[in-house]
Amino acid sequence: MISPVLRKELRIELRNRYGTSAVVMFLLVTVVTIAFAAPGEQIPPPLMSAFFWITVFFGTMTGLSRSFVSEEERGTILLLRLYAKPEAVFWGKFIYNLLLSLSLAFTAVIIFAFFFKDFIVRDYVMFSLQLLLGIVGTAGIVTILSALVARASQKGALLPVLALPVLFPLVIAVTDATTITMESGSAWIAVRGDILVLFSFDIALILISYVLFNFIWQD
Amino acid sequence: MIFALCFGTSIFLSFSTPVAGGFRDTAMLMMLGVSKQTPVAVTLGNRISDSSSISTYSSKDRFDAERILHVPNSFALQSGMTVVGECSFTPSDSSYTLMNVQRVNPAMIFPLIQGLGELGRNILFHVPMSFIAFIAFLVGTFYSILFLRKGNLKYDLHARAASSLGLMFTTLATVTGSIWARFSWGKFWDWDEPRETSILVLLLIYIAYFLLRSLLEDTEEKKARLAAVYNIIAFATVPFLMFVLPRITRSLHPGSGSEAPVINLSGKTHIDPSFSLFLWINVACFAILFFIIKDLYIRIETIRQQREPNYD
Repeated sequence: MISPVLRKELRIELRNRYGTSAVVMFLLVTVVTIAFAAPGEQIPPPLMSAFFWITVFFGTMTGLSRSFVSEEERGTILLLRLYAKPEAVFWGKFIYNLLLSLSLAFTAVIIFAFFFKDFIVRDYVMFSLQLLLGIVGTAGIVTILSALVARASQKGALLPVLALPVLFPLVIAVTDATTITMESGSAWIAVRGDILVLFSFDIALILISYVLFNFIWQD
Repeated sequence: MIFALCFGTSIFLSFSTPVAGGFRDTAMLMMLGVSKQTPVAVTLGNRISDSSSISTYSSKDRFDAERILHVPNSFALQSGMTVVGECSFTPSDSSYTLMNVQRVNPAMIFPLIQGLGELGRNILFHVPMSFIAFIAFLVGTFYSILFLRKGNLKYDLHARAASSLGLMFTTLATVTGSIWARFSWGKFWDWDEPRETSILVLLLIYIAYFLLRSLLEDTEEKKARLAAVYNIIAFATVPFLMFVLPRITRSLHPGSGSEAPVINLSGKTHIDPSFSLFLWINVACFAILFFIIKDLYIRIETIRQQREPNYD
């Protein structure tokens, strides 16, 4: 039941490329703004990691905020509600959001590496793990909260306002871990606490979102 | 009425009970070259010698350390009395001299915490406030879950009341903590301090909860359902913000790294018994206060809904 929802999302995305093109543009504009604001400056690892994750988080908000709003606007939400089970919709949307944000994060890494000479990741495996854990949690929370925001009146501004405070434990842990990886490379002992927090946060929030999705979805 | 009496007494005693240390504290400050004296609580023992102006006692402090104490006769003290006052330390014969008397035979003494002094009293307000903030959020989430299961709007009202009180107690804990930080760490706010950052985020999350409530436009029942979902998601982050993150990052706040916080995994408290008694009395008082205000909030809201059905 999950794959039809996922296939529908991917087909719509490939047809009009609304999400990807807007997000790539967002990333480029943000990175150019940072580079413009700090021309030729030496950017230390804590700042670099903060810039990177702020860009990724807001990029994800921009890219994924419309996943339920657009259904509501086009009136396809009723069809989806009739056709698919809530679990299928949740997991389908979640996997699609995950794929979109992973490609977004990957693009962000390429753009950052291109624009900033200080963007040096010393341990690629560790950085990939942080990227994955950070993105999984973000995609999970944004999936359920964008379904929730689709019901509110101020749809545009509300998602970041609701999502970012909830994502904050993840933001703290992942920026800290990335800073350590950028500063000293492979230091498993130093990032162990952060990785454990990320892992448990992802599992807890995604399971809670899955359980609660039904209450948002039903009419 | 009885509660108000208990609460008043508890707050009065939290302020009026003297804070005092032992001989060790005086000697340590003397060695460090700190001119400011800290009060010491001592029980006068046997009189060793006597002169016209000064009597000498062998005295015990609150840690049962026995030292020689010179007491000027003008203070009119006798063996067996417990005195709180400032002392000076004479390193040559490691004896102490009582400089002044602040309190004789106090009913209770709070321990001196090095570096905090009188500011240590704030533990009795700051800590219960953050406890009750957590309990309020817990109660709010409990009612949100109950609402999702039962669908009775009464439970949603309970959840809203508890969460708004949680917000209030979090604000109080932030304000008391910030004032405390000003006087013991030097500034009101420090972004390097994980506790301060995470409590601010907690405030933001629950402000977002009330923002969401005001922006939803739907039937009363559906609004309540969406708000309940957000409340549960919000509470899922509370353990991370209050318990996990401050403990894995470096911090001045007690309860980070290897230092033992008030609540830790081994379940031991490292607080003096007289202090922890008052701590728990205050926690109980604030908890009762929370339930009383929550009850009032619900009664006011119920009456308002009856009188103005189209309010909102």
